[in-house]
Amino acid sequence: MAIRKKALVSSSLWRGVVSIAVFLVLWEIGSLSKFWIKWESFEWLRNALTGIDLKPVYLPWIGAVPAPTEVLHAWAGVIGDAGYWQSWYMSFFRVMSGFVTAMLVGIPFGLLLAVSRTAYGVGFPVFEVLRPIPPLAWVPASIIFWPTQELSIAFVTFLGAFYTIVINVVGGARSIDVRYFQAAQSMGSSQWDIFRRIILPGTLPSIMVGSSVGMGITWNVVVAAEMISGGGSQDAGSSGGGLGFFIWNSYVGGSYEQVVVGMISIGIAGYVSSELLRAVGARVTPWMRLR
Amino acid sequence: MESQTERAALERLLAILKQTMPFQVVEDGLLRKIAALGRFAVYERDAMIYDVGGNADDIYIIVSGRVEHELAPGAQARRPLKLLGAGDVFGWAALLEKFPHRLAKAVCKEAAEIVRINGNELLRKFEAEPDTGDVVMSRFATMITRDFTVPDLIAQLRRIHRRMHAGDIQGMNLTLYRFLQWIKSPRPYLMLAGFSLFIGFWYLSVEVWKLPRFREMPGITTVVAEWLSPNPTYGLSIYTAEYYTHIWVSIWRVARAFFLATVLGVPFGLFLGWSRKFKEYVFPVFETLRPIPILAWVPLAIVMFIATESAVIFLTFLASFFATALNTMLGVESIDESYVRAAYCLGAKRAQIFRHVIAPGALPFIFTGLQISVGVSWFSLVAAEMVSGQYGLGYVINTSYTMVRYPTIVIGMITLGFVGYTTSALVRVLGDYLMQWRTRELALGNR
Amino acid sequence: MAAVLQPKSNRRATQGAISIDNVVKIYDPDGAAVMAVDHCSLEISAGEICMIVGPSGCGKTTLLNAIAGFHEITSGRILLDGEVLCSTEKPKAEPGSDRIVVFQNGALFPWKTNLENVAFGPIMQGAMSKAEAIEKALDMMADAGLGGVEHNFPGEVSSGMRRRVEIVRALMNDPKVLLLDEPYRALDSLTKSVMHEALLEIYYKNKVTIFFITHDLEEAIFLGHKVAIMTTRPCKPKKILEVDIPHPRDYSVLTSRRFRELMEETNDAVHEEALKAFAAGEKEG
Repeated sequence: MAIRKKALVSSSLWRGVVSIAVFLVLWEIGSLSKFWIKWESFEWLRNALTGIDLKPVYLPWIGAVPAPTEVLHAWAGVIGDAGYWQSWYMSFFRVMSGFVTAMLVGIPFGLLLAVSRTAYGVGFPVFEVLRPIPPLAWVPASIIFWPTQELSIAFVTFLGAFYTIVINVVGGARSIDVRYFQAAQSMGSSQWDIFRRIILPGTLPSIMVGSSVGMGITWNVVVAAEMISGGGSQDAGSSGGGLGFFIWNSYVGGSYEQVVVGMISIGIAGYVSSELLRAVGARVTPWMRLR
Repeated sequence: MESQTERAALERLLAILKQTMPFQVVEDGLLRKIAALGRFAVYERDAMIYDVGGNADDIYIIVSGRVEHELAPGAQARRPLKLLGAGDVFGWAALLEKFPHRLAKAVCKEAAEIVRINGNELLRKFEAEPDTGDVVMSRFATMITRDFTVPDLIAQLRRIHRRMHAGDIQGMNLTLYRFLQWIKSPRPYLMLAGFSLFIGFWYLSVEVWKLPRFREMPGITTVVAEWLSPNPTYGLSIYTAEYYTHIWVSIWRVARAFFLATVLGVPFGLFLGWSRKFKEYVFPVFETLRPIPILAWVPLAIVMFIATESAVIFLTFLASFFATALNTMLGVESIDESYVRAAYCLGAKRAQIFRHVIAPGALPFIFTGLQISVGVSWFSLVAAEMVSGQYGLGYVINTSYTMVRYPTIVIGMITLGFVGYTTSALVRVLGDYLMQWRTRELALGNR
Repeated sequence: MAAVLQPKSNRRATQGAISIDNVVKIYDPDGAAVMAVDHCSLEISAGEICMIVGPSGCGKTTLLNAIAGFHEITSGRILLDGEVLCSTEKPKAEPGSDRIVVFQNGALFPWKTNLENVAFGPIMQGAMSKAEAIEKALDMMADAGLGGVEHNFPGEVSSGMRRRVEIVRALMNDPKVLLLDEPYRALDSLTKSVMHEALLEIYYKNKVTIFFITHDLEEAIFLGHKVAIMTTRPCKPKKILEVDIPHPRDYSVLTSRRFRELMEETNDAVHEEALKAFAAGEKEG
């Protein structure tokens, strides 16, 4: 019995590995198409195509993308560079601080809306009207408003996560089974007690769920903001750096391999931050694991 | 005050009702009210209780004696003639909607004592407790089909069923009803208060108090004036054609990207959820690519798609695709296993289960995913437009900033918000329409 | 007034005999082998109503799932009318319309109307044309007292009605066996009593074998020909009771002396197992 089970796990893992490998191989072939189409063996094809007035271009789209091998090569080159790691640090820092701030403001705000019907009636419509405006659309306004560029990026980052968190908190609080309240009241709890011991823990699962979505949005916003503000100047104190800037810079500098390096780096960073969040979440809501 | 005899009669009626088929399941409280409606009547042998075509007002319950019940040919009963005895119920035409007249002739064959209950009043009692009413009416239905063999009349009883459901107002009336409820509640006024606070704060902080950071911002009066001006200083207002061009361009881009993402993403997600093998092969790659922020793709997109337009649409498509596919997959995985098992039991094959169980079952999740997807599309579109576009609302916002046309920034933002909201609402409405079963269930409060 | 519960025919059923032969089921949730069913043997005659009573979590549903073809067995055999459904060599039966399950929380497709649900089986199997299936469905629904709700969605009618629609949906396919997994557990006792009568009515007309899992001893003795009281996990018949109260039965049976006697005989056995399950901290299945 035990042996059979192990085999099963292995096979699904195998399939995953195989598929990624296949993906990489196809990518490699596709990217290198700009080379292999030039080979002599395909001369006849080229002539044929020229004959019908079709230019022998490489495979559309994929042909322009740098190959995995080229990317790895570039990566090896960049790893030694301190600037690369600093970009990591900067982006990570921005994401985390923006996200944490969003939680610090968003959770109380959300709880207020959930608990007080008046607050909800007053606050929620305004919130809902502002929500469809994409955070990035706030960038210019944010730049005008805030004194430093760093703060303006932080504000936009904050906004991105803020909306998601509030929605999740409100939704979570509303879905707490009313019987928990009734049980608490019949046991003589005060309002504050109910808030602390029922509403707060009851909303935590929704917050955790919402956080992973919020995290994704936050990364999006940070990268976008870094790219849009063009990395800014390199002088001390101002913003600059960050993985978004790294990508943009690489693009402008024409090294597309580095662009892909940057993309993958962000993907990894995003994954790491989500996992961090999930670990924290699991510590904070141990009862969810047993579900 | 009831007299002794009246109370005794009531108790007797109650006992009789408890033994009569359709009323057996009714609990005491309601049964008493029904009993209060009843009247005893005595008929002699050969007396005609009622004839075909007579007024159908009461239903009759036989306490003792025998009654011959003959259905007229028009009723198309398989067995029109019945001899009824103690405990039997007849005269149920009083409960049918379209037949205010008697369908049969009832003649007393042996001296009988009968309880009569007015049909309309009985129905009113049921309307007050629709759950029990439901059960009783369905027992009447069974009785009418089997004992009296007139299944066609079930359709008439059906109307009674519908009346039982109190909140069952349809269509326009429902909307009107909901709207009136809304107006009467404090909600619209709180909303007004909220908006006033917000707008008030904006106005005061920028134009009146001129708070330090707010000074540079465009004030609300400037924005509104600009927006409504036939000859705007910065070139964009509701009167300029350019405004609408930008709106249209953005919408058209989102539409194309969203459409493509849905058409590709939904089937893809369905397969991911349905076939474990497919998921094991494809999901790892999917999950590796998904966390990469859409904007990080911008340079690559520009390189891949030489035309900026295609690049912008590709980026929007990508974001939308990931969201749709993921949510669809989650939708399939969240379908209760019992449904699939039931379908197997009933003889359905895999392909049929996919079409009849999986696809409709995942629909709620799919539509939530689509709403998220619309939001994500706008997000990506704006970003893409800001970085590399011509025309479009994102472009407007960006260039307004660089060309120091601040009020236009706000106009762009507000328009974006409005358009984004409308598209999301459209998706939601479409979902509500396609999933009638859900909206109706939710309206009835999920019994 | 027992007019409702008259059997339409006294023909005995010839199909649907189930033989559970020394069945063992071990499963492996976290690497610790858990025996859910321990050498369970049970014979059910064709057309019999067999009630399976036991405390929560004891493995009764596992048995049902094995018969239905949703789960594998580890060893032993299950036969239907002499043919092997599953065995040690072929551990998983194929789900099919000869053994149809009625689920605890109901499995009517919420996105189809009641009528579409009922007609689902024959249409999927291609056994009859869509028009024929719908006509038969309308007939059967009217017969079961469900006239009037054909075009509603399951979410719009009461849970009692949903159960009945589900049973009719199953019967449309002329199954040999109906497998009921605590179908009335979530209903209030008023609706339950109506459901019992409805089930018996249906049974008298259709003579299917019924394999009915419940934790309610009263329900079991009222409905069943045979009551098998199962031990707490691992599941095994502890005591088998032949209920000799004649069919057709109606609610007056509940207060009859014979019923009382049967309850007394079996109450202790059930209670004992319930205590064991409670002590073992079994979770409800």
